[in-house]
Amino acid sequence: MIFITHKHCTKPPIQRLCLTCIYKERDFYDSLLFFATFFFPPLIFIFTIFRFTKREKMRGRGAKIAGVLPFFTLFMAGAISAFEDIERLRIWPLPAEVSHGGRRMYLSGDFKLVTEGSKYEDTTEILKEGFDRMLDVVRLSHVVSGGRNSSRSGGSALLQGLHVIISSSTDELEYGADESYKLVVPSPEKPSYAHLETKSVYGALHGLQTLSQLCHFNVKKKIIEILMTPWNITDQPRFSYRGLLIDTSRHYLPLPVIKNVIDSMTYAKLNVLHWHIVDTQSFPLEIPSYPKLWNGAYSSSQRYTFDDAAEIVKYAERRGIHVLAEIDVPGHALSWGKGYPSLWPSKNCQEPLDVSSNFTFKVIDGILSDFSKIFKFKFVHLGGDEVNTTCWSATPRIAQWLKKHQMSEEEAYQYFVLRAQKIALSHGYEIINWEETFNNFGSKLNPKTVVHNWLGTGVVERVTASGLRCIVSNQDKWYLDHIDAPWQGFYDNEPLQAIKDKKQQSLVLGGEVCMWGEHIDASDIEQTIWPRAAAAAERLWTPYAKLATNPDKVTTRLAHFRCLLNQRGVAAAPLVGGGRVVPLEPGSCLAQ
Amino acid sequence: MSPNLLLLLLILMFLSLSITSSLSSPSPADSPPYLWPLPAEFSFGNETLSVDPSVALIVAGNGGGSPIVRAAFERYMGMIFKHASGRASLLARIRFLRMVEYDITSLKIVVHSGSDELHLGVDESYTLMVSKKNEQSIVGAVTIEANTVYGALRGLETFSQLCAFDYLTKSVQIYKAPWYIQDKPRFQYRGLLIDTSRHYLPIDVIKQIIESMSFAKLNVLHWHIVDEQSFPLETPTYPNLWKGAYSRWERYTVEDASEIVRFAKMRGINVMPEVDVPGHAESWGTGYPDLWPSLSCREPLDVTKNFTFDVISGILADMRKIFPFELFHLGGDEVNTDCWKNTTHVKEWLQGRNFTTKDAYKYFVLRAQQIAISKNWTPVNWEETFSSFGKYLDPRTVVHNWLVSDICQKAVAKGFRCIFSNQGYWYLDHLDVPWDEVYNTEPLHGINETSHQKLVIGGEVCMWGETADTSVVLQTIWPRAAAAAERMWSTREAVSKGNITLTALPRLRYFRCLLNNRGVPAAPVDNFYARRPPSGPGSCYAQ
Repeated sequence: MIFITHKHCTKPPIQRLCLTCIYKERDFYDSLLFFATFFFPPLIFIFTIFRFTKREKMRGRGAKIAGVLPFFTLFMAGAISAFEDIERLRIWPLPAEVSHGGRRMYLSGDFKLVTEGSKYEDTTEILKEGFDRMLDVVRLSHVVSGGRNSSRSGGSALLQGLHVIISSSTDELEYGADESYKLVVPSPEKPSYAHLETKSVYGALHGLQTLSQLCHFNVKKKIIEILMTPWNITDQPRFSYRGLLIDTSRHYLPLPVIKNVIDSMTYAKLNVLHWHIVDTQSFPLEIPSYPKLWNGAYSSSQRYTFDDAAEIVKYAERRGIHVLAEIDVPGHALSWGKGYPSLWPSKNCQEPLDVSSNFTFKVIDGILSDFSKIFKFKFVHLGGDEVNTTCWSATPRIAQWLKKHQMSEEEAYQYFVLRAQKIALSHGYEIINWEETFNNFGSKLNPKTVVHNWLGTGVVERVTASGLRCIVSNQDKWYLDHIDAPWQGFYDNEPLQAIKDKKQQSLVLGGEVCMWGEHIDASDIEQTIWPRAAAAAERLWTPYAKLATNPDKVTTRLAHFRCLLNQRGVAAAPLVGGGRVVPLEPGSCLAQ
Repeated sequence: MSPNLLLLLLILMFLSLSITSSLSSPSPADSPPYLWPLPAEFSFGNETLSVDPSVALIVAGNGGGSPIVRAAFERYMGMIFKHASGRASLLARIRFLRMVEYDITSLKIVVHSGSDELHLGVDESYTLMVSKKNEQSIVGAVTIEANTVYGALRGLETFSQLCAFDYLTKSVQIYKAPWYIQDKPRFQYRGLLIDTSRHYLPIDVIKQIIESMSFAKLNVLHWHIVDEQSFPLETPTYPNLWKGAYSRWERYTVEDASEIVRFAKMRGINVMPEVDVPGHAESWGTGYPDLWPSLSCREPLDVTKNFTFDVISGILADMRKIFPFELFHLGGDEVNTDCWKNTTHVKEWLQGRNFTTKDAYKYFVLRAQQIAISKNWTPVNWEETFSSFGKYLDPRTVVHNWLVSDICQKAVAKGFRCIFSNQGYWYLDHLDVPWDEVYNTEPLHGINETSHQKLVIGGEVCMWGETADTSVVLQTIWPRAAAAAERMWSTREAVSKGNITLTALPRLRYFRCLLNNRGVPAAPVDNFYARRPPSGPGSCYAQ
C-alpha cells in the first residue's frame, strides 16, 4: 500500500552536529586569522600542534583573558580559533607534527613535479602516477577554470609545483620499511615550490595524500588554494600494519570494486589489504596447480583469473598497499571440495578439510606455491579459526586414522595447522593465523607466527607475553559487518591497551578492521567500510599522545573527511546515527 | 563397441555432466538474450565468436568521425576488456595474436547524420549486426548503423551487453551469434530526477549517475538543483543566491554545471534543469531576504515584487548559457500560500488586485512561464499547475505528473504534452516499491487514442534526496530505475506479456550484476525494500 506522502519536508533541517554554522563562518574565521597574522605573525607562527594538544586548558584561560581585556578581543578571536586548530586542520589521519601559518597560496594551473636531487629514479613511475592521482582528486571536486594567468591569482602566492626528494633508490614495497615524510608548503614570501622529503617512494605517496587534503577549491577565484601556509609537517605511522579485510567468498566483488576499495584505503593511509579470498561459500580464484578449485565459484563469471589477482596486487603495491592473501584452513574451506570432492571428509560432511589425506596438503602446497608467484607480501594468512571437528570423528575413515595416529580431534586440528604452517614457510612466507590457534596450542606455533586477534580481549597481552607478534581486530570494536557499531568505538579501540611493557608493545604490529561479506556485496561495501574504517585508521597512524581521549572531539574533522571521500566518489556513510546509517533528513554533508 | 571405448564414453559423459552442474549459472550462453532493455527486434543464431582485445574501430558516414563516437568506443572497450588478460596486457596480446585467431577483429560504426545536436526526440535508432567471417565478408565484423551519433551510442551499449568474458579461454566471447538487432526507443523522454538541494551530490557522483544511466539507455537527467533546503548553483547575475548553499564546499560553479552537461552529452543524455517556483524556494532568500514575504514567513517567493521576477529572469538567463536542452522545469508544485495571506504587504497587494491566493499562484506560474519562453525554453511544470488552472497554461507546457494517477490522461486530452512519474511507483525514494511494481507501471495506461498517446513524451523516475546522499544514492536508483527504463525503451508488447518472473527477472538480475561489474553499486533485485543489503551470502545472479 502506497500512501501519498511528502515530496518535500517543510521543517528546516535540524543541525545535528551544528557544523554547518561553523562552516558558514569559516570565511569569517579565515579573515580573522589572516588579520591576526598580519599584526602578530610571530604569535601565529608558534601555534604548533604541541601547544594545541593542551587546548582544553588554554581555551579556558583564553576566554577569561578575553573577558577581562576587551582590547585583546581581536587577538584572542584569532587565538581561540587557533586552539580549535588541531581539529580545524582537516587532515585525516592527523600527522605526527604540524605547524602552520595564516597565509594563502594558490596552485599553479600546471603544478609540476620536480625530483632533482632525488636518489630515486622512478623508472616504474610510481611517484609520477601518485602525483597525477593527487592532482586528479584535488581537481575532482570542481572545474578549475581560474588562475591560468598567474598575475591574476596573486603572483608570488602561486605555487609552481612540488619538489620531491627521496633518499632511497628502491621501489620495492617492503613491510616495516620507513613510511615517514616531511612536507613543507611555503608562504608567499618564500620560493614557489612545496617540498616533500622522504626515505622511500611510499612515504612520498603518504605525503601526497596529506598535500591533497591541504588543497581546497576557492569558489571565487575558481582555483585550488592552500590556506594557512606556511606548513611544516613531519609525519610517520605509529603502527606498521594498518589493515582492512575484504571477503570475496560470501559475495564476489568485481575488480573495479576492489580497486575502488584500494584507492579509498590510500586516502586514510591504510597499508594492508587482507584478502579473505576463499571460504565455505565460494572459491572464486583461479589456482593453476589445481584448476578445478574455482569450480567452487558461485558461477562461471564470479571469478578472478590468476592474472586478475596479479593485477590487484600490482594495483595495490603501486599505491603502497600490501595484499595479504588468506586461505582459511581447515575450517572455512567447504567450497574447495566442489572441484575436488575428496577434500571433503565425506559427501554429507564437508568441513573441515580431510586431515587424514595427503592430497589435502598437496593442494594446500599447490595453492601456496601459486600464491608465492603473485602475492609478494612477506605474510600469508592461513586462517585456522572456528574449526568444528565433528566431521572428522563422524567419518569412519578419518576416525580410524585418528585412532591409528593416537590423535584427539583437538590434536588433529593442531597437526593440520602446524603442517600448513610448514608448507607456507617452505614457500618463503611468514604466517598469520587467527587467534584460536594460539588459544589452543600457542606454544606449538612456529615462532614466526603472527597471531590475529578477533574474539576477545586479553589475547594480545598473552600473545605478546609469549613472544609472538600480534594483529588486533577485536570483533566488538573493529568488525565492520557489525553495522550497529558506531565510529566512536572504532576510534577508541586502543591496540596497546593494558600492554605496558615496551618489548611487548613492539610485538603488536598493528590492527585491522574486518569487512566480512555475509551481507556485503558491491552495492553496500563502501558505505559499510567508510567512514568507520577511517576512525580506526587514525588510531593506527597518529601518535598516541595526539589522539583524542574523547572521540566526539574529532567529529568535525571526521565529518569533513567523510565529505572529502564523498567528493572523491566514495560512498562513505553519514556519521550521525551510529553504525552504518543512511541520512535521516536533508542537510549538509558536514553536519551529518 | 569395445569396452575401452565404452569406458571412455562414460568418462566423457561424467565429465561433461560435472562441468555443466558446477557451472550452472546465468551466462549469455544459456538462454538469450541477456539484454537490458530488450531491443525492439532481434534474431540470433548458435555460434560462439571470440572478440579481439585490440578490435579496430572503423567509422563511416557523415557523423562517423565524431569525437563522441571515438570516446564512446574507448569507454566501452575499457568495460568489455576489463580483465587482466584482456586489452590491458600487451604481453598477453602478443601471446594471443600468435596463437589465436579472433572471429571479431573490427567494429564498424556508420553514422549518417553529421550533426551531433542533442535534443528531445533525437533519432536513437540503430541496427547492430554481429557475424562471423563468411563468403560475403572476409573479416568477421560487428556493424552498428545509426542515423545519429546517439543511435550509435545505444548500439554500442547493446554490443557491450552481448560481450562476456569467458573464464576458460580467457577471452571475450559473443554467444548465440550471428546477431541481428534493429532497435529504437518507445518513448523519446526517459528520465531520472536527482535532487541536489536536500543533499549536495559531488560532481563525481553526478557523473557516476549519468554514466550508469547510459547503461540502461535513459536519456534525460532532470536536475532538481534548488529547493527550500539549499541553493548550490552559482548564478553570476545574482551572486548572493548560492549563499543559500549548505556550505562553501557544497556548491556548483557555472563551469561545474557546464562540465556536467558536456559529460552527459557525450553519453547521449540531456540535462533538464529545474527551478521550482514559487513554492520550493526558501533557500533563495538566504542571499536575498527580499524574496521572502517576511523574515518569519519565507515561502513561497514574494509574488508582489518585480524583484522576484527579475531574479527568476536572471537565473534563467544564466542557465540558458549552461543548459542547451529545450525543456526547462519551472516546478510549481506544493505551493502553500498561507504566507501570502498572512504577510501584510502581500495581503494588501492581493486586495489591490482583487486576487485570491490561488489567482496569485496562477499569476506567478504564468509570469514565470513567459520568462522561460522568452529565453527560448519550453516550460515543464508539475501537475498542480495543470489541475489548478490548466486552461491558462501556455499550450507548449509539458505537464509533469507525480500526484494523481490519471493526470496525463487528462492533460493529453486537453492537448498538453505529459511526462509520467506516478509517485506510487516511480518515486525512487519510496523504498517499499519492489522492482516488479516499477516494471508493471504503464505510462499509457488508460490512454487509448493514438493522437493522445503521442503526447505522452515519456516518463521519469524520481530520486528525491531527503534521505539519499552520496552514500546511498546509486543503490537507491539501481536496479529499480532499470525496470522503468525497459518499460520506456522496449515495445509495449514485449514488456506487457508473459510472466515477468520468467521474462524479465533473470535478465534484470543479470543487468544488476553487470552494473556491479562496472562498479555501479546497484542493490540486490530480490529484496522487497529498496537499497537493502543482500540477505545472506550468495551469487549476485541469485539475489
